[in-house]
Amino acid sequence: MAELTRTKQRLLQEAVEENVDVITGRSRATRERAKISFLVRSARIFFLLTVPIAIFTTSYVVAKVAGGRIEDLPTASSAADLTGRRQEIPARPVSAEPMVAVAAPQLIDPAVFPVAVRKVILDPGHGGTNLGTTDASGLVEKELTLDIAHRLRRLLEEGAFRVEMTREMDAELSLERRALIANEKQGDIFVSIHVNWLVTRQVRGVETYFLGATDDPYLSALAARENQGSGYSLADLRGLIEEVYANARMGESRQLAKSVQRSLYRSLRELNPGLQDRGVKTAPFGVLTRTGMPAILAEVACLSNHEEVQLLMTPEYRQFIAEALYDGIYAYANGLNQRSQIGS
Amino acid sequence: MEDHGHDNRGDQNHEHADGQDNGVLYVGIDLGTSRSAISTSSGIRKVVESYVGWPVDMVARKVLKHDIVIGEEALKLRPMLDMHRPLENGLIKEGSEKDAEAVRQLMKHLILLAGVERRGDSETQVRAVVGVPAEALRVNKQQLRGALTGIVDSLMIVTEPFAVAYGLEALLHSLIIDIGAGTADFCVMNGRYPTDEDQRTLNTAGDSIDEILVKTVSEKHPETQLSEHMVREWKEAHSFVGEPPERVVVKAPVRGKPTKIDITEELRAACESLIAPVGETMIDLIARVEPEYQARIRNNVILSGGTALTRGLADRLQSILKEYGGGRVKVVDDPIFVGSDGGLAIATDAPDSDWERLSSN
Repeated sequence: MAELTRTKQRLLQEAVEENVDVITGRSRATRERAKISFLVRSARIFFLLTVPIAIFTTSYVVAKVAGGRIEDLPTASSAADLTGRRQEIPARPVSAEPMVAVAAPQLIDPAVFPVAVRKVILDPGHGGTNLGTTDASGLVEKELTLDIAHRLRRLLEEGAFRVEMTREMDAELSLERRALIANEKQGDIFVSIHVNWLVTRQVRGVETYFLGATDDPYLSALAARENQGSGYSLADLRGLIEEVYANARMGESRQLAKSVQRSLYRSLRELNPGLQDRGVKTAPFGVLTRTGMPAILAEVACLSNHEEVQLLMTPEYRQFIAEALYDGIYAYANGLNQRSQIGS
Repeated sequence: MEDHGHDNRGDQNHEHADGQDNGVLYVGIDLGTSRSAISTSSGIRKVVESYVGWPVDMVARKVLKHDIVIGEEALKLRPMLDMHRPLENGLIKEGSEKDAEAVRQLMKHLILLAGVERRGDSETQVRAVVGVPAEALRVNKQQLRGALTGIVDSLMIVTEPFAVAYGLEALLHSLIIDIGAGTADFCVMNGRYPTDEDQRTLNTAGDSIDEILVKTVSEKHPETQLSEHMVREWKEAHSFVGEPPERVVVKAPVRGKPTKIDITEELRAACESLIAPVGETMIDLIARVEPEYQARIRNNVILSGGTALTRGLADRLQSILKEYGGGRVKVVDDPIFVGSDGGLAIATDAPDSDWERLSSN
């Protein structure tokens, strides 16, 4: 009965919000974006307030245990600077006495630091003389990926994300250059868009790749809940704690790949009933090895399949692909604090 | 000369003890193409024909002694009236100021039936939930909201099948099929507020049965004089799919003389024209649900609305489900008021703070 009451309350709230949208002329998407922006802003404030305090408190405890003097420690205000200046991570207080009561440093569980996605780097595959796959009808992968990336960019920008593209026109870029651009732009996530070509031409499917040979073992639901919505971007986090970042990147790449793959398959099969879910995979794609943020490579269609070629010829289907990618990125960004569910 | 509606006070399902506590009257309204129903927190339930008529000339005005006639009376007096059935396919006819005004008058009439004299003449604040077709566009909702400004104090517009689901508390793993005159509305309830993906509206509904019936009876009995109202009455009295309990024989004027005609086959064909589109849409919506929940939804298909009273329709839809693993289609106990009762349940459950946000002033 309590569950029914909660369901009713939730539905009522949605019904009211929809009516307010009609009254104010606000779109549902705008409302969702506003909600996310508010949550992200709140989370950032929360994180900026709590992390320095946590670091200060930890340092204080360590110092106490180690017999250090409080006067030697950074103040709360100087600790606060850490969030903006990555090089100023305070050194552990050194004491002449042995630190018998302190355990060896442990790698921090990345799930303790749920991150936020602010800037998305889009990488339309191929370009210039590198055509990618082609079809007899004249479709070329480099053009398709650029078209879809532009569509996705518009959606993401409407969704309050910042977006950078490795190429905005038909240009030839090396994989190293793409990764360099992504790193220079300090993106929070990297999405490379490609179109597949399969030997078995009857098959059509979507698949998403990320780099990483091991599963992320760090998804602690409790810690995630305690620290949810930190709002701390991965680019910032990288500068602060490299070791945590390295692990977070792998785990986050996998989560992003899963979210995008799920969205691609679920959305596209509506228009493309024969579509196969070819799954989330790991592979040593060069562009994924060099990017310094969670990175995926999505094969959003197959140019080897005649039916899919017909679909790709229509702007509607390419828009549908862009929307599916957006939904996947959005779900990933929105679900960072519910990773236990996403990762199930 | 205003119709006072069919009083169903005695059938009230949702007795709200608060009634008009604090000077607030909550109402749920199913604004239908053919009929409109209202349920109130003071325990009143009424249904009126969705017809609004203005006297055609000064003579008619003198005879009628009223500027406007609404509901069943309007139907009876239609030769003297400029008649408007303001809701087409469940929505205000686009671009027609007269129809927008007719909706205002219809709503005013319903509120009057609910016991509120006039807004402004009374201390009572009216908070209304109005059901619209599942796929009503934002512009339709804005139009309706505009038409009702000043008629109610606060207004919430919801889709009709959602109102039905809410009233029946069928909010999880159910499929509501609300078949009225103008539209057949479908809504899968998954415990969340229905999105576009969860809902469908078909324009194949009660009115389309009437159209087919007029056409086929006219073809078979070209000498008969038919009106849409006459045909509608036949349908409401005898509609069926499959086998009828008895032959359907009705009286229609032939060169002025009431003559018995057998319309069994024509009525069957007209009613069965619903089965394919409704069945296909039902299956399509179920197929879009996560596989593990499909069986639950198949076993919880709820049929509401006036056309749901068509004899044998639920069984026929249930037989379609057999091909997909079986299921159960049940007709709600009170198809006419289930939408307005659901609207009332929403109205009374919504907190004051939300109603303030939805003020129509």
